[in-house]
Amino acid sequence: MRLEMGTFPVTDIAFGRTTRYDAGRLTVDPDAVLAAVRQDPRIASAALEIAKPGESVRIWPVRDVIEPRVKVEGPGVCYPGICGREIATVGDGRTHRLAGMGVVEVSSVNWHDAGGDFVETYLDMSGHYGEMYPYQKLLNLCLVVEPDSTLNEEVKNYAVHKAALTVADQLGEAVRALTPPERESFELTPVDPKLPKVVYIWCVHSPQAMSGSPSAFCTATYGLTQLTPPWYLHPNEILDGALTGPYRTAFAMSWTVANNPLFLDLYRRHGRDWNFLGVISLRTEWTTQTEKQLMANQTAKLAKQLGAQGAVVTWDAGGNEFIEVVRSIQACERLGIKTVFLTSEDDATDGAPTMLEPLPEADAIVSTSFFKNVTLAVPEAPAVARVIGLPTRKILRGSTIGLHAGADGTIPTKGPLPPPWRYDDHYGFGSLSCIE
Amino acid sequence: MISAIYNFALTTGANRVIRGARIEHVCGDPTLSPEKDYAFGMRIVTTALQTLTIAVPGPTLFDPMAPEAAHAS
Repeated sequence: MRLEMGTFPVTDIAFGRTTRYDAGRLTVDPDAVLAAVRQDPRIASAALEIAKPGESVRIWPVRDVIEPRVKVEGPGVCYPGICGREIATVGDGRTHRLAGMGVVEVSSVNWHDAGGDFVETYLDMSGHYGEMYPYQKLLNLCLVVEPDSTLNEEVKNYAVHKAALTVADQLGEAVRALTPPERESFELTPVDPKLPKVVYIWCVHSPQAMSGSPSAFCTATYGLTQLTPPWYLHPNEILDGALTGPYRTAFAMSWTVANNPLFLDLYRRHGRDWNFLGVISLRTEWTTQTEKQLMANQTAKLAKQLGAQGAVVTWDAGGNEFIEVVRSIQACERLGIKTVFLTSEDDATDGAPTMLEPLPEADAIVSTSFFKNVTLAVPEAPAVARVIGLPTRKILRGSTIGLHAGADGTIPTKGPLPPPWRYDDHYGFGSLSCIE
Repeated sequence: MISAIYNFALTTGANRVIRGARIEHVCGDPTLSPEKDYAFGMRIVTTALQTLTIAVPGPTLFDPMAPEAAHAS
């Protein structure tokens, strides 16, 4: 499986009469792009707005950030399976991507009713809070989209995420026939047999236990979000979007998964520093001890069968999901596979461990700092000049970021606002780490 | 402590740990009929209450579905 990735850096973005890419400048025809979105009868309203780095702009709320990618040669489509897209195995041929930009999915649609999973991630294009995330540096094309209000939550999620992917597809088409300014080839070539064999165990949350949803939202593998046994994925499949966001933390967007620096570094150093075997993707939030242990055992077995001598482990969630993650590490170590775990830490109030279940086998850990913004003492985000998205936020039954509603049950999103409660950098984008 | 993730409850030092069903329904099972679900939940809660009368040397697991539910397993 060989993939050539053609990169088209975007240095400016503007609305115009045709959608086209010219020497870094992306012109977007909003009428044509929105016409494609509105072909879906489930969409009630859709609008496009541009947000640039440094502007006094807040995007509220952010459901996902997507990097436009288009399959130019080889089977399938980028971001396969999700929202009804075709599921041919991807990773072969040639793919073009628009780098330095994001399509931001903005909508009032919530993930689901259970578990307080409100969509409260937002993005400031200037200021301290926004600087903590990679998306503030991007040129962002925001799709503000609302579905037919009579649909159920599942279908609403499906409709608005499909709409954002449609926008990304429209932009990708603009560079399909062009010659990419930058090219890079990705292939798991045979390497020096003396190099250590390393696998990446990439744990991703499943919403199934909380929502019952099989497919419409959250991190998806070829569109599937349900609790499934561990998958082996060729790294080229990841590059074509076989694993795609979003989840409720700001570091679990489709863009973040596609640009995961840990994954890309593992791949680019294949043949030089190690023999990269590929990705084992473990679904998390199994809901019995037995299931959690079974998944840990099977993940380690799969790694061993692949011949792994080392494993790098990440996860994208919190709470009880730590059990199957840390027990996968334990199971690997017991099979003789050395592990390194990249994770954010819980707060250590009253001397509590910053890991839910600190097992002795997990003895090589890279911290990306505390996952709670309150622990990091992130200051309130100041008021902004413009909000893209919803002008007010209705407070229903509590808030994960500590919002307090006025007398009418709403607050203006223009701010000032507390930052969302979670920071957790899952993949090492930032430079924060533990306090010694 | 009634917990579906009972190993974790044991390692964090809870003295009496009662095995629950699942994280999303610790003391019940929606696949059962209402009557059987009630009996299932009662068995877990009753076991939990009974363990309060039992001296334990340290973190100990009790399984409500075991024949001798109120004895340490």
